[in-house]
Amino acid sequence: MQSLVLSGVARSFGSTAAVRDISFTVRAGATFGLLGPNGAGKTTTMRMIFGIIVPDHGEITWDGGPIDTDVRMRFGYLPEERGLYGGMRVRDQIAYFGRLHGLRSPSDRASTERWLTRLDLEWAANMRCSELSKGNQQKVQFACAVVHAPELVVLDEPFTGLDPANADVILKVLRELAQEGVTLILSTHQLWQIQELCDTFCIIAAGMVRASGTLAELRASWPERRIEVEPAEPALRRVLDALPGVRAGSPLPGNGVANVLAYDIPAGTDTASILRRLVAAGDVTRFEQIEPSLQEIYARTTGAHA
Amino acid sequence: MNRTGVIFAAEFARRMHSRPFLIGTVLGALSIVVTTLLPFVLSGIPNERPGVVLIGQPALTSAVQALIANDYTTVDRRSHLDAVPNLQFLRSEHDAVAAIIIERDGAGIRALVYAREPAAFGLTFGRDVAPLEAALATGVPVGDIKRHVVVPVTIRDAGGRFANVTSARAAKGVAFLSIILLYVAILINAQVIMSSVAEEKTSRIAELLVATVEPSQLLTAKVLASAAGGLFQLLVWVLLGAASSRIVVALVPHAQALAHSNTASAISIPPGEIVAFFAFFLVGFAQYSVLYAAAASLINRTEDLGAVAGPVLIPVLAGFLVAEFAVAYPANPWIVACSEIPLLSPFVMFSRIAASGVPPWQIALSLAINTAAAVGFALLAGRIYRVGLLLYGRPPTLRQVLRALRT
Repeated sequence: MQSLVLSGVARSFGSTAAVRDISFTVRAGATFGLLGPNGAGKTTTMRMIFGIIVPDHGEITWDGGPIDTDVRMRFGYLPEERGLYGGMRVRDQIAYFGRLHGLRSPSDRASTERWLTRLDLEWAANMRCSELSKGNQQKVQFACAVVHAPELVVLDEPFTGLDPANADVILKVLRELAQEGVTLILSTHQLWQIQELCDTFCIIAAGMVRASGTLAELRASWPERRIEVEPAEPALRRVLDALPGVRAGSPLPGNGVANVLAYDIPAGTDTASILRRLVAAGDVTRFEQIEPSLQEIYARTTGAHA
Repeated sequence: MNRTGVIFAAEFARRMHSRPFLIGTVLGALSIVVTTLLPFVLSGIPNERPGVVLIGQPALTSAVQALIANDYTTVDRRSHLDAVPNLQFLRSEHDAVAAIIIERDGAGIRALVYAREPAAFGLTFGRDVAPLEAALATGVPVGDIKRHVVVPVTIRDAGGRFANVTSARAAKGVAFLSIILLYVAILINAQVIMSSVAEEKTSRIAELLVATVEPSQLLTAKVLASAAGGLFQLLVWVLLGAASSRIVVALVPHAQALAHSNTASAISIPPGEIVAFFAFFLVGFAQYSVLYAAAASLINRTEDLGAVAGPVLIPVLAGFLVAEFAVAYPANPWIVACSEIPLLSPFVMFSRIAASGVPPWQIALSLAINTAAAVGFALLAGRIYRVGLLLYGRPPTLRQVLRALRT
């Protein structure tokens, strides 16, 4: 089965360790979110996948074998720093990258036309790339990364610089690619966009993996749970304060503040028992156990180690 | 599909459309046409002998006038002058180039020349007047002495390569033109290849490219496209030069005789040497192209191109200067040594091949050394290129580049 495996990968630049020890597996067809703050080592990791930078230690394999030039032909890459030949026409540029990845004529042209349509870029096909807006240049760059129907696409901050409409276009295409079975690795700071898109996540900080797995797995391993109780009566508050290991928190945005009691309780606490005690102490109009969001997991994970 | 071929095709197309290439090709072509036409044009202009004023005893100045008649027109003869001749005097005397005071005493004839341009005044004057000195000393008529002191000299090429002196001189002209062509071609190419690499780096497209193809493949394709562009340029220039000279020969009657000797000299270059000429052109082009590409990969802003181009320009200038000496002294041991040194030899061997007979083993050795050097430069440049393409921020120091090369 085709999967990307990174085992104990490390890379330093002089005395600076960009990546200390990174291991993860991206199974075939997965949509994998690689998350981390600036300087965490995401871009270096992505560059190592493409052989742009050679790891000092560790191994990176695709389908159990090393990633050589032939394998990379089947990969697509959208780097963080965008780059296009300004003087080249959009259609020629996309076709050129198709040919670089092994497409022959006329399939390079046919695939180019398909992607121009798919990304709403037909109107710009004969324009020079330098004449386009930054957002549209990014769509051209995206087309260059996928024109050859790659098995794996790595996208470093694919939504940066896009307006909401264009971001939706890219998001839609990414969903379609995921449905087609293309393995996707995405790095972005806009977590809300990929929370529903990605099925697996890896959070890295300071060049090391801090958490990884599906969102359910990340939540399952999360040490606390949030509960919210209404109304914010003193009797109910006393019950909650008496629970072992609890910590008063802030209600989630939108849930109101004045009449809500929000507490973080240790994972594994018997919530049914808590509810029984609350009902015995007073009138409870709402009792909700809230799973941590990706944003919360990310913030807590990277904040603790960044 | 061969990706080197894909990149080559794209690079070649970009090169053909790049402004520096188009401007360079057109300017080069114009220069070639002008250089080709210039001898024919100049030969059509009447060659007037410069005028001089002779001052001295009438018998003496009369004899001198006769002797210098082939080189100078005597605009006036005077027995004496009241003042030292100056520019105003020369202008008033039909714009003469010199006033020459001729005297004779016990030691012989003396000439004191007041020239408008001392550095340009011909040395032929002394040689022309010398028979008069001998005639006055011996009493033999000047005409007889002149007949005996001038010995007809016929110069033949010991190597049997040139039919005559004119042919050999024309070959030196070809050599000189060739090194100028190579020099111009390398400079234009340097501009184009550096702009190309700098564009890819500064626009950050380089990362995308090296994620797909090996940097060595990228570099190879760029250099091949560069060499192809250079050859194309060279062919345009040569064909335009040949065509323009043929047109002039066909249209201008007096140009036909002049063309005859030049044509003969061109024919006298054996086909093997013409092949060697192109081989050195390509190998020189390759050497400089990889170095320029590597240098350009180190910059982050196109404004910094000049800073990294400077060091690579030094061998180009050195090669050009040494090659000029090589045209005059093709067998000098230092010149022979330089024709075996990479970066210099493409220029120097160019000159030696065109200006004289070079032993085939020297050509073969130089070609082998230069080919090996081109491969070595390509390997080194490939590593610099790979490292340089991903070095962003301030331009790296030499130490940083060396450290990056070791990793």
